Amino acid sequence: MQQNPFLAILTRLGTFVLVMIVLSIMIFVLARVVPGDPARMALGPTATPEQVSALRTEMGLDLPLPVQYLSYMGRALHGDLGMSLLSQRPVTADLAQTVPATVELVLAAVIIMFAIAIPLGVMTAHFRDLWIDHVGRLVSLVGVTIPSFLFAISLQLIAARYFGDWPIIGRMDHGLGFTGGPTGLMLVDSLLAGRLDVFLSALQHLALPAIALSMAGIGQITRITRSAMLENRRKDHVLTLQSFGVPERVIIFRYLLKLSSIAPLTIMGLEFASLIGNAFVIEMVFSWGGFASYGLNAILQKDLNAVTAVVLVSGLFFIVANLIVDILISIIDPRMRRKEAR
Amino acid sequence: MAQIKMALDGADKDLSAGYMMWYRFSRNPAAVIGTLIVLSAVICALLAPWITPRPQDVGAVVNFRARHLPPDAQHWFGTDKVGRDIFSRAIFGLRISLLLVIGVLGISVPIGTVLGLVAGYAGGWTERLITGLTNVMLAMPPLVMALAVSNLLQPTLMNAMIAITLLWWTWHARLIYAVSKSVASEDYIEAARIAGAGPLHILFREILPNCISVISVKTTLDAAFVILFGATLSFLGFGVKPPTPDLGSMVADGRQFMPDFWWEVLCPGAVILYVTLGFNLLGDGLRDMFDMEG
Amino acid sequence: MSDPLLKVEGLDVLFTAYGQTRQVLRDISFTVGAGERVALIGETGSGKSVTAKAILGTLPRNATVSAGRIEVEGRNVLDLPRSARDALKGQAFSLIMQDPLSSFNPVFKIGSHLDDVLRYADRRAGVRASTSERRARIAAVLRRVQLADPERVMNAYPSELSGGMRQRVLIGLALLHQPKLLIADEPGTALDVTTQDEILNLINTLVAEEGMALLMITHNLGVVRKVADRVVVMRHGDIVETGPCTQILHAPAHDYTKGLLDAVPPLYGARVQTQELSEKPAIVSANALYKEFGRGARRFQAVRDVTVTLREGEIFGLAGESGSGKTTVARMMMGLARPTTGTVTVEGTPNPGRPLAQIVYQNPGTSLNPKRTVKQSLSLPLKRAGLAGAARDARLAELMGLVRLPVSYLAKYPHELSGGQKQRVAIARALAADPKVLILDEPTAALDVSVQKTVIELLLQLRAELGLTYFMISHDLSLMRNFCSRLAIMLRGEIVEEGPTPQVFAAPQHPYTRALIAAIPVVTDAEERLKPAVTPEERQAFLVTTTD
Repeated sequence: MQQNPFLAILTRLGTFVLVMIVLSIMIFVLARVVPGDPARMALGPTATPEQVSALRTEMGLDLPLPVQYLSYMGRALHGDLGMSLLSQRPVTADLAQTVPATVELVLAAVIIMFAIAIPLGVMTAHFRDLWIDHVGRLVSLVGVTIPSFLFAISLQLIAARYFGDWPIIGRMDHGLGFTGGPTGLMLVDSLLAGRLDVFLSALQHLALPAIALSMAGIGQITRITRSAMLENRRKDHVLTLQSFGVPERVIIFRYLLKLSSIAPLTIMGLEFASLIGNAFVIEMVFSWGGFASYGLNAILQKDLNAVTAVVLVSGLFFIVANLIVDILISIIDPRMRRKEAR
Repeated sequence: MAQIKMALDGADKDLSAGYMMWYRFSRNPAAVIGTLIVLSAVICALLAPWITPRPQDVGAVVNFRARHLPPDAQHWFGTDKVGRDIFSRAIFGLRISLLLVIGVLGISVPIGTVLGLVAGYAGGWTERLITGLTNVMLAMPPLVMALAVSNLLQPTLMNAMIAITLLWWTWHARLIYAVSKSVASEDYIEAARIAGAGPLHILFREILPNCISVISVKTTLDAAFVILFGATLSFLGFGVKPPTPDLGSMVADGRQFMPDFWWEVLCPGAVILYVTLGFNLLGDGLRDMFDMEG
Repeated sequence: MSDPLLKVEGLDVLFTAYGQTRQVLRDISFTVGAGERVALIGETGSGKSVTAKAILGTLPRNATVSAGRIEVEGRNVLDLPRSARDALKGQAFSLIMQDPLSSFNPVFKIGSHLDDVLRYADRRAGVRASTSERRARIAAVLRRVQLADPERVMNAYPSELSGGMRQRVLIGLALLHQPKLLIADEPGTALDVTTQDEILNLINTLVAEEGMALLMITHNLGVVRKVADRVVVMRHGDIVETGPCTQILHAPAHDYTKGLLDAVPPLYGARVQTQELSEKPAIVSANALYKEFGRGARRFQAVRDVTVTLREGEIFGLAGESGSGKTTVARMMMGLARPTTGTVTVEGTPNPGRPLAQIVYQNPGTSLNPKRTVKQSLSLPLKRAGLAGAARDARLAELMGLVRLPVSYLAKYPHELSGGQKQRVAIARALAADPKVLILDEPTAALDVSVQKTVIELLLQLRAELGLTYFMISHDLSLMRNFCSRLAIMLRGEIVEEGPTPQVFAAPQHPYTRALIAAIPVVTDAEERLKPAVTPEERQAFLVTTTD
């Protein structure tokens, strides 16, 4: 039963394209059937009916919905997502400016999540019912139960009380006069420019929001890792290796860890949409100025082109994350490789 | 391994299923604490007008002399920017949270359950359509979707509820689908079919009872998520209209006066944490009770 | 060296569950000498596996050893600190488990398991070896366990090998590790009978060559005869009887052992029952059935050109190993699946208003809905037949009477019943619809041999009382010899032999039939001698080689 892994990935990509199409139709229809005239919103209450109707025609709002959708998608494929009513700039330009900030934040959060949750999950499972287990389970319980805004605000509170000059808003110290670089990721750009001071400032600014954003995931992943480790610990193959004299630490850190990393990865993929959602809150609390803050404003102002773009980009985030998860899992699990080729 | 399971099964046979569940539940301190927390929250919410010290503070009351008072014997959680008792408002806020839970789960759980059951048993195009739809919904950040929906309509509690419900059924449908699919392949389902049972009997009499444990655990854990979700929406300004007290918007209000008047953030926040913790502990307890994996 | 290799003395083990404690082992004492082969035999709940786990130190958390000693070369392992015990677990004994698939970590290659076992075995022995050296030694071991292509095996993941190959690799692990005592927990039980036979032969050869001692845990008396010098018979946590293999099998002292031996269906000899052939007309005929699954390149023919006739009143047996297509044939004959080509004709007069056939499934654990009471399960077909109220209750009582269960059991849930009782309920459910034919899909494969005997007796009585026709699917030829009046053997989708049962066993025509019969573990030497002769080439040709 030979299989082609590229074919498997290609099939997955196909499903994702389908997901994007359905998603775009959903948000497009939703954005256009709601009460309230976007043209009127854009021009404000003082505009004359003629002005409004002129803008409606200009925006194509008079055309039937399917036509509007197709022309929107046609333009979207050429990188034109329309104008933002709010910023009066192309939406793509706004996105180019804001998306990297969110990518930086989310990446940092994901790294923190796995760096803390996997070891914690392994330790709690290994020292089951000992104090380390209880502490770990408490951390994970708080992680899933605490509202992320509350945690974010508490972090700010602590920073303000006990670390007086620790930055609690923004991406870096504007006094440093750094204007950014090619990637838009502050940490990378500062290193490219050889500005260690900027790098450190950016890292300082990043720490709190990234920790706040990772908290929910830490709770979830610790839990999943722990239960996967415990479940796999009972499997026959552990007994086999034990009875053939392979030491406990090898069994746990080599055989069990690899097998037990599948479940948290899967969950990570499934819950990625929630992570993006949480980014909206975190960015707001920390005035992060990323794509999520942009989206929040767009929604508040009913900026339709921007809202549609924000939803599509969120979907894209989810898809990219899941593609990575899929690839990782198929590297780990040979059974998955064959299942996908089927 | 099988042998030991057998030996234990032998021990179980004399005990009723109910006793075993109760045993597992009552020996689990987390489950008992969770139950007490949830019960106390529900009772407080029901009796809010009678047990809160200042029920009149729920409305647009202004009492500037008493503004920003720290917690003391009279105001357990302190007072807010216009001098209202935060404890009273927080208890009333619980009502909104629990109402949201009932509204959202009361609609989305039955819908998700039925769709999941059908998808798992029917197979074919029905299965592909329903699972396809849930997969698309998964790609939507729920918060973004809820914000979009509730704002594009009008930012009210009702619309927030609709928005959450629109998304929530997919998670249930996914879960029930997985259970239903595996149950549907069991011999006893075929046996029932051969014995002449119709699809309704098979779905609701044969498959559904096997999903009850999964549904109840998921629903309990979801109650916590819905509360978190609703609080987040109202924190971002998409919840009930002031002056109706709502835990999320109370935190948002208090945030302007950080860090000096910290209680205005932390106290309503603690109430949120209290209920979500309760539902989580209860859900974990139920999971143990039903002896489920994971 | 006067101490035996393993000495278990007065071992008591308690299990605590739901606040209740019960004793699962009582005063277990036995020894295994160096190079000796001992079998622990017992049925479900006898405590044989718990004993093995106690020796290995892998009892579950809710189990406690309340009394007794387990000595390995004179040292009581129960007194040893955990680390010393772990070390012992690694050095003195190895375990081969029942299910060779779950015995390997699914996300690691076979070679990785083998290499780690060898590396730590070397380290304990103070040997330093490079990776390539180890690889060469592993390849040599794999060849010894008759795996022809070691490179392919080492690079494969567990799910890519067949059950038989995985079982061989497990035995190979034992050779790499070189324990003094090999504990085998029902090896090969999950595999086909021909493969299982090969595996037992292999274990025997290797144990003899390496001078290992063997502790074999099994429920199969035929297996005992093949691999044990001495036998320990267990029941409900007690040792019933201990003795040399020949004595236990030929002159058992204890009634339980006698009953156990008596319940094993004989293959040859005076105890064999022969069922009368039916002269009545055909009730269902299948003509040139083909069944294909899958599409395109993955298409395969599960059934090829099968023509069978089921006569009224007979017990027709369709025998074959897993994947032979026997279940598919049965389902097509009963209209549960549609043949790709070919026809099924229902002849004779079907009873008006009642279904022709009902099924009794293999696994009693999954054939009854765990959330429905016996009454609810049985009422479904009755409701369909239009029975209600007192008439239904009367019929329910009648059905329970037919399968010899008390009426009070109607209120029970499946988990409150034993395997045999569940199977009786499943039979009652099949009878409720008042069918003419029962399809028996390995109805006793999941049951203990003593329970199997009672269920088979019940089925024979029911046939006499109700005039039923049986269509039985099974891989258990010794059971079919005694239960079926006519027999067909399936191999890879085709029927290779068909005839009256006594004739098939007396003079098997097809080499596959001979190989199948020869592989059945039998209890007496007399039966062994009566088995048909099979050349090694023939045996090899029919070993199932597909991956599962």
